[in-house]
Formats: sequence, structure tokens, C-alpha cells
Amino acid sequence: MNRRPLIALVLAVGGLAAASSAQERFIDVRQAMADALTSVKAAAGKGDWAAAAAAVESARTIWDRDVKPLILEGVKTDASFEEYAGRAGEVEAAVAAAGAAVAAGNAAEAELKVNAAIWGISHHPRGFDLPAPRYSAWDWVFGLSIGLGFCLFATWFGLYLRRSYYGRFPKATFVRKGRS
Amino acid sequence: MSSNLFITAVYLALMFGAGIFFSRNIKNTSDYFLAGRSAPWFWIMGAVWATNIGFLHGYLAHGGAAYEWGLIQANFEWFQGPFGYILTGLFFIAFYWRAGIYTVPQFLERRFGNGIRTIYSLAWIFVFLVTIAAELYLGGMFLKNILRIPFWPTVFILTGVVGTYMLLGGLGAAIMMEFVQFVIMMLGTMPLLFILLRMVGGFKGITSTLIGQWGASAQYFTVLPDIHHPYGPGPWVILGQCLVVTIGWCAGHQSMVQRNLGARSLYDAKLGYVVASIPKTLGAFLYIVPMIAAPVVFSQMGIFVEKSDAAYGKLILHLLPQGMLGLFIAGLLSAGLSSIGSVLNSASTMIVKDIYERFFVKGKPDHHYFVAGRVATLGVIAVSLLLVPVVLKVYLIMWLEQLLLAMILGPFMAVLVLAIFWPRANTPGSLAGFLTGGVFAVLLQQVFGVDIFFQISWWSFVVALAVTFAVSLLTPPPRREKTEGITWQSNFEDLVGEVVENRALAGAERVSEVRPRTIVLPPWYLNVKYWATAILVGQIALLLFFG
Repeated sequence: MNRRPLIALVLAVGGLAAASSAQERFIDVRQAMADALTSVKAAAGKGDWAAAAAAVESARTIWDRDVKPLILEGVKTDASFEEYAGRAGEVEAAVAAAGAAVAAGNAAEAELKVNAAIWGISHHPRGFDLPAPRYSAWDWVFGLSIGLGFCLFATWFGLYLRRSYYGRFPKATFVRKGRS
Repeated sequence: MSSNLFITAVYLALMFGAGIFFSRNIKNTSDYFLAGRSAPWFWIMGAVWATNIGFLHGYLAHGGAAYEWGLIQANFEWFQGPFGYILTGLFFIAFYWRAGIYTVPQFLERRFGNGIRTIYSLAWIFVFLVTIAAELYLGGMFLKNILRIPFWPTVFILTGVVGTYMLLGGLGAAIMMEFVQFVIMMLGTMPLLFILLRMVGGFKGITSTLIGQWGASAQYFTVLPDIHHPYGPGPWVILGQCLVVTIGWCAGHQSMVQRNLGARSLYDAKLGYVVASIPKTLGAFLYIVPMIAAPVVFSQMGIFVEKSDAAYGKLILHLLPQGMLGLFIAGLLSAGLSSIGSVLNSASTMIVKDIYERFFVKGKPDHHYFVAGRVATLGVIAVSLLLVPVVLKVYLIMWLEQLLLAMILGPFMAVLVLAIFWPRANTPGSLAGFLTGGVFAVLLQQVFGVDIFFQISWWSFVVALAVTFAVSLLTPPPRREKTEGITWQSNFEDLVGEVVENRALAGAERVSEVRPRTIVLPPWYLNVKYWATAILVGQIALLLFFG
């Protein structure tokens, strides 16, 4: 059996997979930060404040070292980074507030702030930011023309199909299956 | 997590075994590509829906788009039911069925000749490759998030499982497995809706939180938004989505049509397609409505979501209890595997029937093409794997796939409608129309920067229609044998019943004195017109409630 095509396929997939790892990196570093923040909640819930403080610090490190630089670099060339750049301040404030809540031993407040930080590094729906619906006179004319036009066409075409069918086979015998 | 992994592994092993089991019945190309034409209507219904709904056209990508843009995504479910499934079931399937074809391009060839068949086949094979790559990417990312196993090994495992049962079992295995998967999907994924609605206080709770407290746009909750909407302007949804893309998808997508060609009778094919619109409509409650509630849950529970396409997986990971999560993963894998399997089967069918058998190796015994089908399946898997890193870069998979479809389905719908309803349409007209429409669609996107695929599909449809019409009138009419039996004017008795000519039909009363042109109607409960009417009424009620 000729193994060359198989080897070429494996190499090609491997090469393309490596090239795509850059896209995956931005996901992975944010996931790592989210994991660290989640462990803040777990530790605070158990009252392990030292572990919680360490997890906050870990999240802050990942933010400063990995996530923020990627956002600042990415926003120069890719519009999809803009949402994260716009929320960078909120994320930093939420992480700082979570650290303060942990230091104060307030688990409920820590959870609230951690959730805010995780939501800050998450992808938000674009549909939230759309303007309120705007309907100009032209929009109404256009929309109603389409709606009424379609209804009229469907009625006319349906009647044409029906007429052409029965017109073509006026003497056809219809037998219901299962009946004599 | 180990119990989830166990359930998932058992499920994949069962799928693997099913392929080997069903391979015993495969003896020729008809068995492999059309399941020996033996499937009853309820299998067709399950298989059509399971084919349609997968990682891409369903839970992950549709759900992801719903997370991104809101309720507008439900129009894929609520308009595709009446416009796509019902119209295709009522009108187009009879023509395909009567023509005795394996592929949609074969039908185009019967009517318009070789050229359009080749172009159409190549275009679809390309879309299928991207589709499989997108399904693999979504499935890999889903399992990576849920089970925390690496992306690429997951992709290879998925490929291995689905490749095996498709390679061995063909369409018969696909249809039978898809029916089983249909049941698992429905039972496995429905509980999420109730859990979510209870958490967020029902649909009113979602709107009051997102609009009232967060200030989200009201258009997030609209099925038909205003004309300025960047993803799906309402009027263009009606024109491009309802009238072109959904019908074109249902009547022109080889995987969808192929399930019906495997039916045991025309009744079964038509009824299966029409009734499949019920689960299609309900699909919005499986993955659209839950994803609109998802942002509330993510922010309240502190769940990280990296991109829209991953949102559905994150939701179920954090909301479902352990045992149920395993069942849910099995349900989702069912969706993904059935879609990948069906597209694989269709792609290999088109490669062998439309390309290989016509241009490369003609006149060989049936077994040769049967083996070629399996080799083609392997080839499609290999190329799709190469495309996975490419689709990884796209911000919303749904957008990419719909854009490609818009470029094909607009011209296709124009040619198909004229092929069936206008006998004067001829080969030069259809070829010119299809090519002009396709090129116009590409120009709209690439040169004029139109990214709304509903607009692209509509305008490419209009251009293709006009060009086909004009060129057909300027050139000689088609010969009679090109239109005989496959246009409305010559064949439409098939649309309401089964035509008999002095011979009894299986299951019918003795009809020894039945005259030519006797039309045997199905029992009332299998009458597609009644089903279609009932479904339309339900659909209008849904739109009035949510619209």
C-alpha cells in the first residue's frame, strides 16, 4: 500500500493545526484566568481565605501577563478584540474588588465580583448593542409590499396549480387507499 | 465527570457497532446510496430532522448565533418548517421520486443536460467539505469544553466513529441510526429548556432582565427585526430566507433529498418530509430559546464563554446534573454524528455518481462504484480534516456556512422553479442563469461587501431567474423528451396521490377494474395536505406569540 498520501495528510493536518494554535491561545489564556477566578469562589466558599487570595493573585497575573497584552495587540488589527479592550477597565476593577472582598473575608461579595470579572472576559452577544428598531415610511412600504405581494402571489399561484391540475385530469378517478 | 465520559464512550461504541451490524444488508449501490428504497415515513421524518439538525444546523452553531443575535435565529426553525419542508414535500419530492434519481444534480441533468449537473455537483461538494469541517470543529470544541479532552484527538475520534458506520452501512445505516438519534436528541436535550426557564423566571423573566436591567436592544427578542439589522433585516429574511434559502436548502441539499429518495413509496417520502417540520419547529425550544436565556445565567453564575459557538456547551456543562449531562452529551453527539454522516454519504454519492462515473471510469460493474463510494467517503474525511483549521478562524460558523449556501441556493432555486413550472426553460438559459447568479452572488459579497446572506441569496435568485428567462426565450425551446415526465405540466398527478394503471398497488384494495389515470389517495391520516394545514396553523400561532 502506498503510504505517501497518508503521511502527507498527517503532516498537512499537523501543520495547519499548529498554525491555528494562535487562535486557540486567546481562548486558552482567558479560560485559565476564568478557572483561577472560579477557584476563588470555591476557596472562599470553604473559608480558605489564603487559597482564595492566592487564586485572585493567579488570576491577576494571567490577566497582566497573557490576556491584556493579547487584547492590546489584537485590537490593532482585529475588530473582534474591541469588545474586550472596552471592558478591560471593568475587569481590572472587578478583580481588584474581588481581592478586597477576599481580604475582608466577605464570600458573597467575592463571588459577585468574581462573576463580574469572568463575565467581563467572556464574549458578549452583539445583538445587545443594536439600536432600537427604526421604521421609516419607506420601511413600511417595503415591508408591506413584500408581505401583501407574497400573499397575493401565493393565492394566485395556488389557484393556478389547482385549476391546472383539475383542468388537465377532469375525469380522473380518485380512490381512497383502504376503501373499495 | 467519569460517568459522563463513560456514557459518551458507550454511546460512541454503540454507533461504531451499529455500522458493522448494518453493513450486512449492503449488497449494491442502491442499498449503499438509497437504502434499497425501503424506509417508512416515520423513519424519513426522523432521518430528515436528524440530518438537518447537528452541531452546525442546530445546537452549537444555531445556538451560538442565537446567543449572538437573539430570537431572529428562530426564523431558521419557524420559517423553514412551512416554507422549506412543507413546500418541498408537497411539490418537489414527487418530481425527484418519479425521475428515479440518486442525486439532485441528476435531476438537473435530466432537464437541462450535463453542464449544469457538473457545476452544481462541484459547488455542493465544496460546501459539504466546509460543512463537515465545521461540524468536526464544533464537535471537537464542544467535547473539549465538556470533557476537558484535547481538541484534535477528539476530532479524530469523531471522524473515526462516523466514518466507520458510514463506510460500512451507507444510507441504510444512516437512516436507521438517525431515527434512533432523533429520539435520543429529543429526550436528551429537552430538559434544558425547563431547567433554564425555571431559573430565569420564564420568557418574561429573560426580557425583563436583559431589556429592563441590562438595557439590551429590543431587537434581540424579535423574529423579524427592522431593515437596518446587521445580521437579518426583517424584509430580507422574508425574501431571502423564506422564499429562497429554506426552500432551496430542503429541495436542493443532497442529504435532505437523499433521505426521501430512500423511502419505500412516494407517500412515505412526502409525508416524512412534511411531518419533519414539526420537530424542526420545536427545535427552536431546544437550542434557540435556551441560548437567549444564556447570557443571564452566564453573568449570574460566573460562567466563562469564549465565543458564541461555545456558549451552548458551557451552558449544559454548568447546569445539568452528572447523569443527565451524560445523556445530553449522547444526544448532542447523535445530532453531530448524524449530520456529519449524512453529509459524508451525500458527498460520496455526488462524487461517484456525478463526477467519477461520468468523467473517469464509465461502464464498470456495480461493485466497482460501490467500492468507489467508500473510497470517496475516506477522501472527503481527509479533505475536511484539512479544512478544520480554516474554519477555526471564523467568528461565527453559521455566518460562513450561510454565506456559501446563499451563493448556491439563489441560482439553484431560480433554475429549479423554472425547470419544473416553465417547460420553455432550456439548457443554455439554465446554464447562463445559474452561472450569472452565482457570479453575481460572489461579486455582491467580495466587491460590494454585502455580508447579509439573505440579501445575497435573494438578489442572486432574481438575477438567475431573469437571465434564465431571457436566454431561454432567445434560444430554441427544449426537445419534448427533456420536459416529458418531469415538469408540472406533464407529471403533476403524482402530487396528490399514487397513479395506477390497471394494476393493484401494494396495500391497496384489489383494483382489477381500475382504469388508467386512477389516482389512489392515502388514508386521511396520512394525507399530506391535512398535515401541512395543521402545521401551518400552529406555525402562525407561534409567530403571533413571539413575533
